[in-house]
Amino acid sequence: MTPSILKYEVAASKPLVEEVMSRSGQNLQSCYQCRRCAAGCPVGEETGVTPDRLIRMILVGDKEAAINNLLVWKCVACYTCGTRCPNNIQTARINETLKQMSKEAHYKPLTPRIADFHNAFMTTTGQLGRFNEIESMAIYETKTLFKELAKGHLKAMFDEMMSQGKLGAAMTKKKRMHFGFDRIKNRSEVKALYKKAKGR
Amino acid sequence: MEIAYYPGCSLHASSELYDIQCKLVFGKLGIELKEIEDWNCCGATAASKTNEFLSIALPARNLGIADATGLSEIVIPCSSCYSRTLVSQKKLATDAALKASINAELGKKVQGTVKVSSILEVLRPKVISGEIAGKAVKKLTGLKPACYYGCLMTRFPIDIEVPDNVENPQGMEIVCKALGSEPIDWNYKTDCCGASAAYNDAEQSQLLMSRIFKDATARGANCIVTTCPLCQMNVDAYQDEVGGKYGIDKRLPVYFITELIGISMGIDPVVMQVDRHFVDATGLLKELNLI
Repeated sequence: MTPSILKYEVAASKPLVEEVMSRSGQNLQSCYQCRRCAAGCPVGEETGVTPDRLIRMILVGDKEAAINNLLVWKCVACYTCGTRCPNNIQTARINETLKQMSKEAHYKPLTPRIADFHNAFMTTTGQLGRFNEIESMAIYETKTLFKELAKGHLKAMFDEMMSQGKLGAAMTKKKRMHFGFDRIKNRSEVKALYKKAKGR
Repeated sequence: MEIAYYPGCSLHASSELYDIQCKLVFGKLGIELKEIEDWNCCGATAASKTNEFLSIALPARNLGIADATGLSEIVIPCSSCYSRTLVSQKKLATDAALKASINAELGKKVQGTVKVSSILEVLRPKVISGEIAGKAVKKLTGLKPACYYGCLMTRFPIDIEVPDNVENPQGMEIVCKALGSEPIDWNYKTDCCGASAAYNDAEQSQLLMSRIFKDATARGANCIVTTCPLCQMNVDAYQDEVGGKYGIDKRLPVYFITELIGISMGIDPVVMQVDRHFVDATGLLKELNLI
C-alpha cells in the first residue's frame, strides 16, 4: 500500500502532539520512523494504517486523520508495536487516547461492532462485578442486530444470527456454555469505582 | 504449600475445565490453590480500551483482597487477567495519587505485597526441581505440541520485566519436554489470535488464526497447547471454520498445559473434562496410547 501524503499543519501540530503525549504518556517525538512496529502489526495490512503512520499523523497535526481511522478501532492490543519499538513508544496506548478523543469530538465509531462489544463487556462487569458471557453477548447481539435492521440489512442480520447461533450450539454441545449469573457480593465497591471513573 | 488463586471469569464459565485441571494438577504437586474471596472481573482488554482508570482500579480491588490473605503469591492462569493485574500492581507502585484514590473506595486496600505469577512462573521451578517429572506415571511420547503463548504472556503495555524470552518464550516447551513430549519449533507462538475480535471483527480474527494453523501444521505439530483460556477457545472453536475457509485440512486438538501434565500424572481424562473440546482431543491421546 502506498501511504497518502500528509500535510504539515504547523499551528495544529503543537497542541495535538502535546495533548496525545500527555494523555497517553508516550513520547511520540522520539519516533524516527524505523517502522519496526509496522512490520509486526497484525492488522496494519487490513486497516491501511500502521502505528508509524498514526504517529506521523499526530506529529504533522492532522487530527481528523489521527482520530478517524481504522487502526484506532481495529487494533487488537497485542502490544507487538510497543514491545519492538527501539524508543519504547507504546502505540496501543496512543490508540486508546485517540479513541477517547474521537468520542469527545462526536465521531461515530468506524467499527460499531467492536465499540458495542467493549461497551457491553463493561456494562455487565459494572452491574455484576463479573463478566457474564451470555448476558454480555445478549446486549451486544441485540445492538448489532437492531443496527442492521435499521439499515435494512436483512442478509447481514441473518448471517450474524447464523454465525453466533452456530457458536452457541457448539458451545452448548461441548458443555462450554455457562447459564448461571456469576455476580460478586460487594457490588457497591465496584459501582463506586465506576462512579469515580465517570467523574474523572 | 498454599498459593492465592484468581481464576477470572472465563474459568468460572466457558473454560471451567481449566479451573478443574489447575486445582487437580497443582494439588498433585502439593500446592493448594486458595481462591481469593469475592473477586471481580479484571476488566480485560475492554477496560484498557475504554477507560484507563477502571483498567487499573478493577484489578486493584482483587490485589487488595489478595494482599489481605497474607499469602506471598497469587497465580493467575488466564493471560489477560494476569497481564491486567500485573500492570495494575506496577502502575500503582509508581503512582501514589492514583493508589490513594482507588484505595479510598476499597475495604481491603492495595498494599502491593503479593507476587503476581502466571501459571508458567509457578510450573517452571517445579520442572527444574524435578517434581513434575517425578509425579509423571507416563511419558507423553509421540505428542508434538505447538506451544502457543499468544500476546499477553510476554508483551505488556508498560515496562515490565518479563520472566521469559519475549519473542521466543520457552516456559511451555520446558514443561512439555519434562513430560516426554516433543514440542516443535515454530514462528507463530506469540502471534495474536484476535481475542475478542473473533466475535466482533470475525474476518480479521480468522485471518490471524489461519496463519497460526498453517504454520503449526506445516511444522509437523499434532496438537496445540496453551495457557490462555481465550486463545484456547478461539483456536479450538473456530478451527473448523477457519480451516475450511483457508484450505487447511488437518485439525489439531488444543490442550491446556494442565491437561498434558494431568495426563502424564495419570489423572482420569473424564475428571479433567478432556471431552469438552471442539476439535476432538481424546482421539489423539488414545492413538498414542496415552489414555
